Amino acid sequence: MRTRDEIKALFDKVLTKVNGLEAQVSYNFEKSIATRFGENSITQNMGGESESLRFVVYKGNRSGSYITNKLDDASLDRLVRTAVKMAEDSPEDPEYVPLPGPQEYLKMQKGYFDDVNAVTPDNIAGDIKVVVDMAKSKGFKASGLFEAGAEIDAIANTNGLFGFDSSTNVSYSTTVHGPVGSGKAEISRNSYAQINIDEIAEKAVGNAAMAQNPVEIEPGDYDVIFEPSAMLEFFAFMLWNMNARDADEGTTVFADKIGQKLFSDKVNISIDIDDSELPVPIFGDAGLAVRPRAWVKDGVLERLRYSRYWAKEKGLEPDPSLYPAFMRGEDRSIDDLVKMCKKGLLVKNLWYIRYVDRKELLLTGMTRDGVFLIEDGKIVGPVKNMRWNESPIHFLDNVVAMSRAERVESYAKLPGILSKDFTFSSKTDSL
Amino acid sequence: MKEFTNLALDIARSAGASFADMRIVEERQNRVFVQRRSLKLIDETESFGYAIRVLVDGAWGFASSTKLTKDEVAATAKRAVAIAKASAQVPKDFPLVMAPESKYIDTQVGPCVEDPFKISNKEKAELLLNCTDIMLSQPGIVMAVGYLQFIRIHRIIANTDGSYLDLTNTFANPHLGCYAVEGSESQDRSFQGGARQAGYEFIREIDLPGNAKKWAEEALIKCRADDTPQGIMDLVLDPMHLALTMHESVGHPTELDRILGWEANMAGRSFIKPENVGKLKYGSNIVNFTVNNNLEGGLGTWFYDDDGVKMQKFFMVKDGMLNSLGCTRETAPLIGWEKSNGCCRSDGFEHFPINRIPNLYMEPGDDDSVTREDLIAGVEKGVYIEGMGSFSIDQMRNNFQFGGDMFWMIEGGKLTKPLKKVTYQAQTTQFWNSCDAIAGKSLWKSHGVMNCGKGEPMQVMRMTHGASYTRFRNINVGGAQL
Repeated sequence: MRTRDEIKALFDKVLTKVNGLEAQVSYNFEKSIATRFGENSITQNMGGESESLRFVVYKGNRSGSYITNKLDDASLDRLVRTAVKMAEDSPEDPEYVPLPGPQEYLKMQKGYFDDVNAVTPDNIAGDIKVVVDMAKSKGFKASGLFEAGAEIDAIANTNGLFGFDSSTNVSYSTTVHGPVGSGKAEISRNSYAQINIDEIAEKAVGNAAMAQNPVEIEPGDYDVIFEPSAMLEFFAFMLWNMNARDADEGTTVFADKIGQKLFSDKVNISIDIDDSELPVPIFGDAGLAVRPRAWVKDGVLERLRYSRYWAKEKGLEPDPSLYPAFMRGEDRSIDDLVKMCKKGLLVKNLWYIRYVDRKELLLTGMTRDGVFLIEDGKIVGPVKNMRWNESPIHFLDNVVAMSRAERVESYAKLPGILSKDFTFSSKTDSL
Repeated sequence: MKEFTNLALDIARSAGASFADMRIVEERQNRVFVQRRSLKLIDETESFGYAIRVLVDGAWGFASSTKLTKDEVAATAKRAVAIAKASAQVPKDFPLVMAPESKYIDTQVGPCVEDPFKISNKEKAELLLNCTDIMLSQPGIVMAVGYLQFIRIHRIIANTDGSYLDLTNTFANPHLGCYAVEGSESQDRSFQGGARQAGYEFIREIDLPGNAKKWAEEALIKCRADDTPQGIMDLVLDPMHLALTMHESVGHPTELDRILGWEANMAGRSFIKPENVGKLKYGSNIVNFTVNNNLEGGLGTWFYDDDGVKMQKFFMVKDGMLNSLGCTRETAPLIGWEKSNGCCRSDGFEHFPINRIPNLYMEPGDDDSVTREDLIAGVEKGVYIEGMGSFSIDQMRNNFQFGGDMFWMIEGGKLTKPLKKVTYQAQTTQFWNSCDAIAGKSLWKSHGVMNCGKGEPMQVMRMTHGASYTRFRNINVGGAQL
């Protein structure tokens, strides 16, 4: 793994070859070990590392770009030569924006932990054995993925910008199937020490046990409690539509909506940099420094993401990134949400979400790995999976209450949410 | 390269591996991306790397590297062996065995008439900018996107069967689309021809500039169109639409690794059981699905899969009955099959090869004189759908819901008006059993899918589907409403 100084020297070597042209070079390194398991045994076990360099050069408002994982001197010469030739040949770009200058990067929460580098395939196999043994003891079958790795991202340009960021990540997800129903548990953290192997195993096996023998119910509108894991992808589709230019052109649900109250006043979405559970990268697009940013405040759409070009057109500061996204929760548990629900469904996970209509942000998808009927504040029992058609805008407008937010992925920290009138449209026997 | 592959395989053998392979992959890619009238990306990418896969004591080890020296190859092979020994801590109930395979020494190069890497980037960019300009010139079109991607993959596979394969494939992947806005409505329309294993000749053949205006006009038509009808009615589906329907509801459920439960944590399992082969009525008697990994221009036509199995052609569904499954050398013996049928592929050197959908297509109808219009003429009330849109299916591949790219109402056997926001929902075998007519061979078209996601860590694979126009009776339409 190259050090910060070695990467800077590599950048200098490339940027000195450009003869006064404007250029940007970025470096990525990834190292990971990953073990897959299915039907209570390890099915794939992998390890490897890779690095690559991306070089973009500008001749006026023409550009060329080259990416390689060959970093010897001859390859670097070819990288620059080819990209410059591409820039000379390419059409002019009317939306060209000069590269940014040096940035003042904020000190973010620690995201690199040495204990991840010490993780071995033997450690991982031992960790997987915990859930496999627990599943076997109940006659269930466990499957999943355990992945541990490190990443470096660095960037420099001819205007004097230089950024270096590194992080480690451990992610573990497992699905446990009984004869007629399944349960899932997953965790993503930056340190191996933050992963509680027993807790994950118990949760997955417990969820599977609870999900056995679901009964069929009729589709229709239900109050629902989405656990944070169910929130993740549903919420991600909304984030992908939070682009300022798309909204200004009228192609997304956020057209002409800046400053309007679209959601429950409980909804707050932002980039927070002071949360140690989810460290934020120091830079985003073109090496721009990431800053705290509120997207939704007390239910009001405060801001959409501006690219460098659209920000320049509108006289605003560009947004380096939308991620990681933080949605503030309330000080209660999922069990507390269940107690607040008169009649509804507890949804553990969603699956295969796609647009039905992008402009309305109408989405479809399925429930998966555990749906439970709630009556009078208590879980009555598991029900069969159903297809739903719904909008995250409606869902977040209909919020009744939230649980505490949890990190569910390296790009999101979300609460569980109790929301009214969620539309389920058809049934399935699939478990 | 043989000095490196021999070294890796010798280390694997001396560690007691019952099977091992080394796969060296060199990839070159060229992309041009245009958004509105702006050239957003013009780049070339090269990558090189290799992976060594070893089966020791019935458990897998896999390690990859980008440095091709004897020391690094030896270290990578030893790392793969160590990983295999770790896998044995959580073993299968019985040691894994690879299905036997012949030894092949072969060199193959896929179709590519006009080398896309020799066409100037300027020509490619100007082609796309011309197309987006045509689209944006239509009042109401606010956004247009054009994309060209060319990939060349050179694989060398050497394994302990004694095979040594040197294989090169070139892929051309175009895209063109636009968004229209009228009032508060916004609709999109795009090129639906998919990708092909070919050179730049494919880009010339599809004539993107000649179609750009039509697609822009149709996006505007959709904005003004009526919303979907609701209820039980008939469908006539075009070949490009059916590519996705068969991908999701025939391709994925017939993957044997899913059926065995190995994808349960992410991609899901399947409603099919191994014992269903030869017994499950998948579709009506006229429904035939063929696997053909030798299909000319097919994205899955790789000559040999990553297990070193020669590509094959067979019926997946014959006369409506489930006839086979897609399998690998690892999965085939687990259901008592003697040999693999060549469905094992990886999307890059750093990823473990897994059970993938092959080239899979629906056979045309027996009567070549049957046209799209004949199918429509037999519908009293229904919808005609072109192209791909919304798509979602449950993790066992039963309940699905599909949209499309362009829709027309069928009333009294005729197309009467455009529609928008149409979806239909069905269960897999119910849907294929409702098929009552298929147009002829001369209307059959293929569609290459470049972005099939599966596996953990995620792998993105490519394959080709195909169909002629097809009719389905009594399907639930229009259930997806706010």
